[in-house]
Amino acid sequence: MGQVMRRYGTAAGMAAIVVFFAVALPDTFLTLRNWLNISQQISMLAVVAVTMTVVMVMGDFDLSVGSMASLAGVVAAVAFTHGWPVWAGVGAALAVGLLGGLFNGLLVSVVGILPFVATLATLTMYSGFAFLMSGGKTIFGRDIPAAFSGFARGGITLGATDGRPLVLPWLTLLALGVTAAIWLVLEQTAFGRRLYGIGGNAVAARLAGVKVMRLRLLAFGFTGVGAATAGLMYAARVASANPTQGSGLMLTAIAAVFLGMTMSAFGQPRVLATLAGVVVLGVMDNGLTQLHVDSYVRDVVVGAIIVLAVSISAFGRRATGG
Amino acid sequence: MGLQAIWNLGEVLDVIRNTILTAARRALLATVATAFAATAALAAEKVAVITPYLAQPGTQFYVDAFKARAAELGWDVNVIDTAGDVAAVISRMEDVVNQGVDAIVINVDPAQVGAGLQAAADAKVPVFGMDAGTDPLIVANVTSNGYAMAAETSVYVANRIGGKGNVVMFTFDPFPPVQVRGVIAKAVFGNFPDIKVIDNVTPDVSDGGIADSRAKMEAILAANPEPGSISAVWAAWDQPALGALQAIEAAGRQNEGIVITGIDANPQARDAIATGGNFEASVAQDFAGIGRTTADTVAYVLGGGTLKQNVVYVPTKLITAANATDK
Repeated sequence: MGQVMRRYGTAAGMAAIVVFFAVALPDTFLTLRNWLNISQQISMLAVVAVTMTVVMVMGDFDLSVGSMASLAGVVAAVAFTHGWPVWAGVGAALAVGLLGGLFNGLLVSVVGILPFVATLATLTMYSGFAFLMSGGKTIFGRDIPAAFSGFARGGITLGATDGRPLVLPWLTLLALGVTAAIWLVLEQTAFGRRLYGIGGNAVAARLAGVKVMRLRLLAFGFTGVGAATAGLMYAARVASANPTQGSGLMLTAIAAVFLGMTMSAFGQPRVLATLAGVVVLGVMDNGLTQLHVDSYVRDVVVGAIIVLAVSISAFGRRATGG
Repeated sequence: MGLQAIWNLGEVLDVIRNTILTAARRALLATVATAFAATAALAAEKVAVITPYLAQPGTQFYVDAFKARAAELGWDVNVIDTAGDVAAVISRMEDVVNQGVDAIVINVDPAQVGAGLQAAADAKVPVFGMDAGTDPLIVANVTSNGYAMAAETSVYVANRIGGKGNVVMFTFDPFPPVQVRGVIAKAVFGNFPDIKVIDNVTPDVSDGGIADSRAKMEAILAANPEPGSISAVWAAWDQPALGALQAIEAAGRQNEGIVITGIDANPQARDAIATGGNFEASVAQDFAGIGRTTADTVAYVLGGGTLKQNVVYVPTKLITAANATDK
């Protein structure tokens, strides 16, 4: 019984949330248009959360992802103001993401600082770089090429309803692509299995010949690139960049991974479970907005749901002694 | 036969789904839905107000006044604060468009929420700006007239010094809303043959603008040591005016009759003006008026009216020692 509750309690809760909105909003919630909207709205969070999963598999964290997302947007925007083509600006931002991620990995694995402390420090550093590069201002308008911001507005047209086009957004497809890639890496490669091994028992993994230091370093690289990708998606969506715009992503991404962990077999972070966590958070935002629920009440409700899901999972674990 | 089985299965699933949905709908209607039904009055105009900046004092004035006017009009208003997250403004715009609101009011730079404006335009939902900025996809932006505010204070200065004397200007051209103020002040002073603009300073605003303005003003005072060699300081916003005031007082030249004016009438400026010192005037925007006028503008358009202009200005008020402490 406890086992069942632990495995499927969260899934049942998620289904209940969807049913609730479907009933309360019969005309608008279960429409394809609304779900395409939701998919686009959660695409940035999905990329951050899914790549965050890579380090959380080892029991680590990356608190710097929000700052990195802001920094990546600013790097691209500043590159654009200097007349760089879109591919070069995007490439520079992703390179910064990779370097920043590897630097986190270096501090955690080679130097041996606790991830919480190391990435808290780099959070501050990357945020400082973002302020320095942008001069604290929002970069927008003619400085942002239409080809860049257009990516976040476009997609594959599926058809039309009510005289409005139905579009499968590029942002959604990008998030799905990143999710698929990380799923492959974590679930289908030796690299991924070793990361889970480190998460299970780092000492045992090292004794078994796993190169723990190198793997941890690389894992943080994934998270850095993911954060930078999300930052670029955000910058494209708002057609501007400012040094704080990504800061909301970090805590929400960690919350999504935790929410997902309550669904997986041994309470481990899993990519698809993380994605489910992201979807729930997105659905809550979308549904509660349509139901007129006050923005501040919305925050309370979302937090309470996370507490509830993790509590049920904890009870389930105690009941099964697992 | 296989196809038939799948077909039947699909039908069965549909029946199950419909049964569950119907049952759930009934249960919900009996319990929770009444709460929502109470807020969603039938036939009322549904208007969403979306801002990332609700925590800022000015925004609260707009929103409260907007809600008060909307209540008189019998509207169903949904105020959404995204707590600084501009991308979330786009998401929430998409949500309320999908929900079928009659109008959206935003309080954010339209250049940053183009995707949301497009979603609203596709669904033919009109979007209004409440001190937001202009955009082809915004029906009208309701705001204060920066040209008029600068005219108020520059004419105040010119009249106070009898159309004669040396004036120091503090302007800031990189920020368009402030740049227009400087343009007007220059034109006004240029129209008085005996007024001479001896310095036009662009202060460094990275520290808030007061400290650097004070330093610049100290240098100007040192370069013009004769009493009466500076008649007035005109500042395009309050911070440089406060910095200039500090410099004049620190130099012990507060009794030379140097007239200082600012714009915005922030609390610190109001305090300085109320004491009756050199800082004599500023201009207050009517935030509540902007909120009320936005509601009236939305009502006009929803009632079938067409606006020719895409900016609606709300009058501002000159603040002097006579009314600086009024609320």
